[in-house]
Amino acid sequence: MSTATEDTMPTHESGPTTEIVRLVDVGKAYGNVTALREVNLSVRQGEVTCVLGDNGAGKSTLIKIMSGLHDYDAGQMYVNGELSHFSSPREALGAGIATVYQDLALAPLMSVWRNFFLGNEIRRGPLRLLDNKRMEQVTGEELTRMGISIPDLDRPVASLSGGQRQCIAIARAIHFGAKVIILDEPTAALGVKQSGVVLKYIVRARDAGLGVVFITHNPHHAYLVGNHFVVLKLGRIALDEEREDLTLDQLTAEMAGGDELAELSHEIRQMDAAADR
Amino acid sequence: MSTVSTSSTPPAASSAAVEDRVAPRTGAVKLLRLPEIGALLGAVAVCVFFLIVASAFRNVDNVGTILYGAATIGIMAVPVALLMVGGEFDLSAGVAVTSSGLAASLLAWYFNFHVWFAVLLALVVSLLIGLFNGVMLNRTGLPSFLVTLGTFFILQGVNLGMTKVVTGNVASNNISDMQGFDSAKNVFAWETSIGSVAIKAPIVYWLVITVIAAVVLRKSRFGNWIYAVGGDSDAARAVGVPVRGVRVVLYLFVGFCAWLAGMHLLFEFNTVQSGDGVGNEFIFIIAAVVGGCLLTGGYGSAIGASLGALIFAMTQLGINYAGWNPDWFKTFLGVMLVLATLVNVWVKKKADAR
Amino acid sequence: MSRRTRRATAAVVTTLLVASVAACSSTGGRKAVEDAERARSAGKASTPTMTIALVTHSGPGDTFWDIVRKGAQDAAAKDNVRLQYTADPDGAKQANLVQQAIDKKVDGIALTLAKPDAMQGVVKKSIAAKIPVVALNGGLDRWKAMGVTSYFGQDEKIAGQQAGDRMLKEGAKHPVCVIHEQGNVGLNDRCAGVKQKVPATQLLYVDGKSPASMQTAITSKLQQDKAIDYVLTLGGPIALVAVQSKSSAASKAKVVTFDTSQDLINAIKGGTVEWAVDQQPYLQGYLAIDQLWLLKTNGNTVGGGQAVLTGPAFIDKGNVAAVEKFAASGRR
Repeated sequence: MSTATEDTMPTHESGPTTEIVRLVDVGKAYGNVTALREVNLSVRQGEVTCVLGDNGAGKSTLIKIMSGLHDYDAGQMYVNGELSHFSSPREALGAGIATVYQDLALAPLMSVWRNFFLGNEIRRGPLRLLDNKRMEQVTGEELTRMGISIPDLDRPVASLSGGQRQCIAIARAIHFGAKVIILDEPTAALGVKQSGVVLKYIVRARDAGLGVVFITHNPHHAYLVGNHFVVLKLGRIALDEEREDLTLDQLTAEMAGGDELAELSHEIRQMDAAADR
Repeated sequence: MSTVSTSSTPPAASSAAVEDRVAPRTGAVKLLRLPEIGALLGAVAVCVFFLIVASAFRNVDNVGTILYGAATIGIMAVPVALLMVGGEFDLSAGVAVTSSGLAASLLAWYFNFHVWFAVLLALVVSLLIGLFNGVMLNRTGLPSFLVTLGTFFILQGVNLGMTKVVTGNVASNNISDMQGFDSAKNVFAWETSIGSVAIKAPIVYWLVITVIAAVVLRKSRFGNWIYAVGGDSDAARAVGVPVRGVRVVLYLFVGFCAWLAGMHLLFEFNTVQSGDGVGNEFIFIIAAVVGGCLLTGGYGSAIGASLGALIFAMTQLGINYAGWNPDWFKTFLGVMLVLATLVNVWVKKKADAR
Repeated sequence: MSRRTRRATAAVVTTLLVASVAACSSTGGRKAVEDAERARSAGKASTPTMTIALVTHSGPGDTFWDIVRKGAQDAAAKDNVRLQYTADPDGAKQANLVQQAIDKKVDGIALTLAKPDAMQGVVKKSIAAKIPVVALNGGLDRWKAMGVTSYFGQDEKIAGQQAGDRMLKEGAKHPVCVIHEQGNVGLNDRCAGVKQKVPATQLLYVDGKSPASMQTAITSKLQQDKAIDYVLTLGGPIALVAVQSKSSAASKAKVVTFDTSQDLINAIKGGTVEWAVDQQPYLQGYLAIDQLWLLKTNGNTVGGGQAVLTGPAFIDKGNVAAVEKFAASGRR
């Protein structure tokens, strides 16, 4: 576990890394606004692919294409080697791609185990009633296996911390057979400690052999767990590097806008100087 | 749960998200956490109160009257509660009952249908009203408050307009001399007695609906979906819950119960006044809320709604039994309902604090 | 989901329609009434068409007001009058409806003065606009001062007193007066009139829009006070609900009522309701329109500056047969 917090976490190398999803020159336009163009991306088993970008860079369009909410209109998307077009999130789920959104993860007033099994309830008996006991037990086992301990699974998830809620949503996706999980800004609304919980969890998911797409605008978080980094800018790929070819500083600089940041820093310094006078 | 996590967690995970501030709950607390427990205590409190102040309330013979009062509210409060758990309102529920009764009686009278056939047609009408509400809600994306408010006015107009067109009056004609009326009365408006307690048909239907709704809500997959749709419909949709379908089914259930209630009114009173039922929609919602449903959806219980109906009926009739100055009736009613709800909220808070 | 539901619904409807051929009742229903329906035709005046607005404080779907309206319609048909009927139980809204009638420059306005203070302003405006106004049903003690031409109705307090007298004569000791609309002056006056004659009269408020709730409320009152020997309701349909309550509570109380309806006439005939105080609502509507027509075409006024009382009259087993044949068409 401690490796997860170290700066130089090695690329995950156990076993062959199969490619699960591959985007080739994918583009998407909404009317006359082109939200995404010529994006190439590959998601491999047991790897964390980080997608970074400022607001409006096209991150959410990318997620929507992969999770089945929108279809793309240029290029190709291959899932398990097959050319695919998803017409609904259900289809994407069927292909093993689960998306955990930052804000629409769980029903707040439902208990942990009810949320965990939502849409995949275990039923038994002639009346097909819910097997509450079993679901509660499986939820506990699954969360424990992934390193989260929630002593009272009957509690509404609203009473849990944001990090725990993210973890439950991720654990749920994994338990129900996801091969790829797309995490939409899972750490954006969280404090430092809670972010740590989620980041550790991402590493666990990776180690469990999943392909993880980690969408964030925080290069520090990305660099802690990522194997591969893609930076989007105005709908295009601005940077596409493996971890070993990239330092955190480079990533931060690229993410913050590189030259633009240098200019901004210059301007601010000038303003400071003017204020001192 | 904590024992499981210490024995089977690999060492690496011990530093993970162990939330040690949340202690495991005991069985008693679990019981306290049931959404209907507050309503139960509220009902007990109201009952004890009137047992003390109203001598007629203590008379066992009168239990039937109170239960009947509760049943006529509860038959509709339960489906309305389910709908509210699913995050939606139905302001047309009160007049929909009248619509159903009118439909059966007007159709039977106008076309000389066998009464049972008209009763079945009324069921179709009621389900169509529910379907209309659900589909309109899904199609327009407007808040259900608005959609069903529209239905409320439409039905009010149709009730009066159709009655005038068909009968020339504002009440449906008496159909008690038509074929099938007596057998339908034996189904929808029978009366029997257990000991000295008079049991009317709606009491049994109310209890059956409550039990079915409670089992569906707590123990079925569909119930799980209702909670999810009401709690966070986007989250529910994301995991594959057919959100629109759930809503339509909930409105259909309201329609079905409106039919049941409407048939009772028709066969109990032989005719239906076209202006009846207005304002009852709020009584149903009140019963559901007194019984622990959240107005914002995602939380509540069918048994709670029934207890809410019981609280409402006990209060309403208890004031009569106590013989208090009737000028202040509504004031007493308001105070009692708020007190009963406070008990409910207080219990929930106690449970959450443990 | 919805498509499946739609298909299922279509199937159900079809089945039911097919079944309908075999599902007719051979007793009762519309046929029975139509067979008995008599042609109702009166002569029609040849005076030029005029427009008269009738604005009442009725709620939607009230049996009593339906009879008033029928009276007005029949008079309008006879007098070659275009009748515009509107109603709202809320005082301010009713005044607004009157204002609309003034704006439309109608030839005459008939209105109820159940909330006289709310109506004062528009009555004044109407008279200023040279539109004659007659009042009906409510506002007995106020119509004259407001400059209204005539008044048709009953004195609710007197009607209450007469009802009380009759109950007293029949040996009533503990009646209960059931008010189905809280805050309605007319209903309160009736009960107050009864109370003047029978001081032990109790009040009970019920929700007039919910028969089930009314039934349990009256039942509970009867159970609470076994001494109650008369239940006086203030509307025809409510009396019928009270009959149910009476049997639920196994009470021996007698049910009597103000105002009638078609079913109530049958109930009096059947003996479940003893009698009804009738204020002849048909007459109120009829006379109000007829008065305006007379005023416009011949300058007549009726009543000689006094209110024209249309009630109270009693309908009981003795005279119900005479009323019955008119009740079928919803005019009594």
